Amino acid sequence: MKYDHILVRYGELTLKTKNRKMFVNAIRKTMIRALEGLDVRVRANRDRAYIELFEADPYEVMERLRHVTGILSVSPVVKMDRTEEAMKETALKFAADFKPGSSFKIEVKRADKAFHLKTFDIQDMLGGLLLKNTEDIRVDVREPDYKVMVEVRLDAIYMYHDVISCVGGLPAGTGGRALLMLSGGIDSPVAGFEIMKKGVELEAIHFHSPPYTSMQATDKVKQLIDIMSERTGVDIRLHIIPFTELQTTLYDKIPDNISMTSTRRVMLRLTEKLAEKIDAQAVVNGENLGQVASQTLTSMHAINAVTSFPVLRPLLTLEKNDIVKKAKEYDTYETSIMPFEDCCTIFKPKAPKTRPALDKVLKFESNVDFDPMIDRALENIEIYEPNAKEDSDTFDSLL
Amino acid sequence: MIYMDNAAATRPFEEALETFEQVNRNYYYNTASIHPEGRRTGQLLEASRKQVLELLGLGGHGCVFTSGATESNNIAIQGVLKNKKQFGSTVLVSEIEHPSVINVIEEMKNEGFDVKYIGTKENGQIDLEDLGEKLDNDVVFVTVMAVNNITGVIQPVSEIAKILKNYPKVHFHVDATQAMGKVDMDLGGADTLSLSAHKFHGLKGAGALIVKREGIVRPVMYGGGHESGIRSGTVNLGAVAAMAKAMRIATENREENYRRVARYNERVRDAVSALPSVHVQPGGVPHILNLSFEGAMGEVVVNALGARGIMVSTTSACASKLAVLNETLVAMDNTEAIVKGSIRISFSSFTTDEEADILIEALKGVHKEIGGVLK
Repeated sequence: MKYDHILVRYGELTLKTKNRKMFVNAIRKTMIRALEGLDVRVRANRDRAYIELFEADPYEVMERLRHVTGILSVSPVVKMDRTEEAMKETALKFAADFKPGSSFKIEVKRADKAFHLKTFDIQDMLGGLLLKNTEDIRVDVREPDYKVMVEVRLDAIYMYHDVISCVGGLPAGTGGRALLMLSGGIDSPVAGFEIMKKGVELEAIHFHSPPYTSMQATDKVKQLIDIMSERTGVDIRLHIIPFTELQTTLYDKIPDNISMTSTRRVMLRLTEKLAEKIDAQAVVNGENLGQVASQTLTSMHAINAVTSFPVLRPLLTLEKNDIVKKAKEYDTYETSIMPFEDCCTIFKPKAPKTRPALDKVLKFESNVDFDPMIDRALENIEIYEPNAKEDSDTFDSLL
Repeated sequence: MIYMDNAAATRPFEEALETFEQVNRNYYYNTASIHPEGRRTGQLLEASRKQVLELLGLGGHGCVFTSGATESNNIAIQGVLKNKKQFGSTVLVSEIEHPSVINVIEEMKNEGFDVKYIGTKENGQIDLEDLGEKLDNDVVFVTVMAVNNITGVIQPVSEIAKILKNYPKVHFHVDATQAMGKVDMDLGGADTLSLSAHKFHGLKGAGALIVKREGIVRPVMYGGGHESGIRSGTVNLGAVAAMAKAMRIATENREENYRRVARYNERVRDAVSALPSVHVQPGGVPHILNLSFEGAMGEVVVNALGARGIMVSTTSACASKLAVLNETLVAMDNTEAIVKGSIRISFSSFTTDEEADILIEALKGVHKEIGGVLK
């Protein structure tokens, strides 16, 4: 079957009547970004969008749209003139691809109520035609193998039978901006995807402590950013924070059993400062209640006390296997499990307190002036833009 | 000289040689080193791996680089059977496999495995009915090559995979050495696949074992843990990158080359079929053509063609010097005269129309020259 368009159905934005124009603009922009380099034209109307395929492969287009937030589902469609002949010709082409022994059903949607053929007329005409001209197929209106949809609209008729679910939610940039704490593990990229579903625009922050953490660990986080940006069609800027001075000071000055809490507190302070700078309204992390010592409720309370920003934890109550499942779906899992030292693993205390007492933490922290170190770290941020052409591309000539 | 023994080894692509040279000049570091150049070298290795899997259309699989298909077959057979002992002890192998499969399987008898051979039909394909009859609950391993190295016959790999779906504990190994770059086959049903670079214009000393899931194979050689621990030993990155390059070129031009080589095959086939006492074997991929001058030894024909400037072989190069009858041809129920008189002509993408013409004339000439001994 040669498809000429991809039909894109919107998600929740159809509910937001007042801001629809803004939503549609946002989703158009994201789709164009996600389809960059493909020979297509994006036409986003108020209730749905059509991607016109010139030379582009429909399946590649749909794959690229799968994680674009705000899209509920897509279908590869054939657009035709509003004539009986065109409908018949196309329906026969669809039927030619049906597997022998399969069943089908013709379903009709008449957006143009004035069209000269009624729903039943079209069903009767096309159903009869297919039965007569295609061997070994039958009609099944309850559970057909193929549901051929015929949509009669004012401009044209569209025919398709495949509906592929996408991520849904709201289009990027319509829900404010947040700063994602990205460690490189399995959870934080998933947390990012989840928040982005709600239309939130993301930037990310990552702490590295060279030479205690490796360049591979930072590369891995860059790769995660690349995957997330490519998948969602939204560029996510990564801020890489030099954390060595703070890390070694914490190691030196704070007792082992509460150093983890203090480290998290310092990280969150830094995150808040950066969030303010980039006009973000919230911080996002991949914390999951009770998963590790730093993620008990008491720990969260002690750590959270340093900020007045909302800290969003979209994975808070999920089961670990569900998070892993999502990571695989989002394509970040394989990268996340690459075994490199990151900030969390290298200065890991032997027995971190699962119930750190805030007053004790405050007492020890009061002996150290972290502020100038935090400022220095913020002054020396390295920024990574997703899919920046790095030298790995030069392998093209070798391979 | 005209080279027509490409099933034994192919001439490397210039581009593959360039890659080999550049990698050895600029990326001679150990791929496992963590200093900047080592990391970069490791990235090249991973980029090569990704490319190989993508070209195979097996993006989700794992890929272990080896020294070639013999090593890949050894790892697949020995490394999988180590894990399988507790589940059963029967191994099914087609009787037309390459020695790097047969001899390993035979060795496994010493480890307590029962080996049963799957029969072959006269058209050179393995007998699926016979496979069905031999399959039972004790079978843990089935190995069938994708394309036979003696005749070029394409084996029904995806049908076998379908049959084996009902036997979930069976590991299905496919030696795809002669298929790569020649024919588009659905190999996704195999649990492991073997490849050799020098069969598709890469360099000798590089190959791959493709695995459906990491963890299904155990190492047979232990060391520093390269290649996920499956194949320790510093990776021969130059040859590996050259293999990825050769695979890309071979795959991109596959359809066109197939059509062109098929034309040569057909012309040679037509020309010699008309001669008395000549028997042409059923074929598959057009790159390989096996024929016999009944009554003459294959070696005599090879020598006579050599004197006319054409290099071919009797059966496979690996067995050319052995004095035993070729198993594949015997399995296909050929007479002894046909088996003894057989030669293998194998083309490549470098073969030209002109060379095909010369070959046809040479075959006719040899036929005339030794006509006295033919039956």
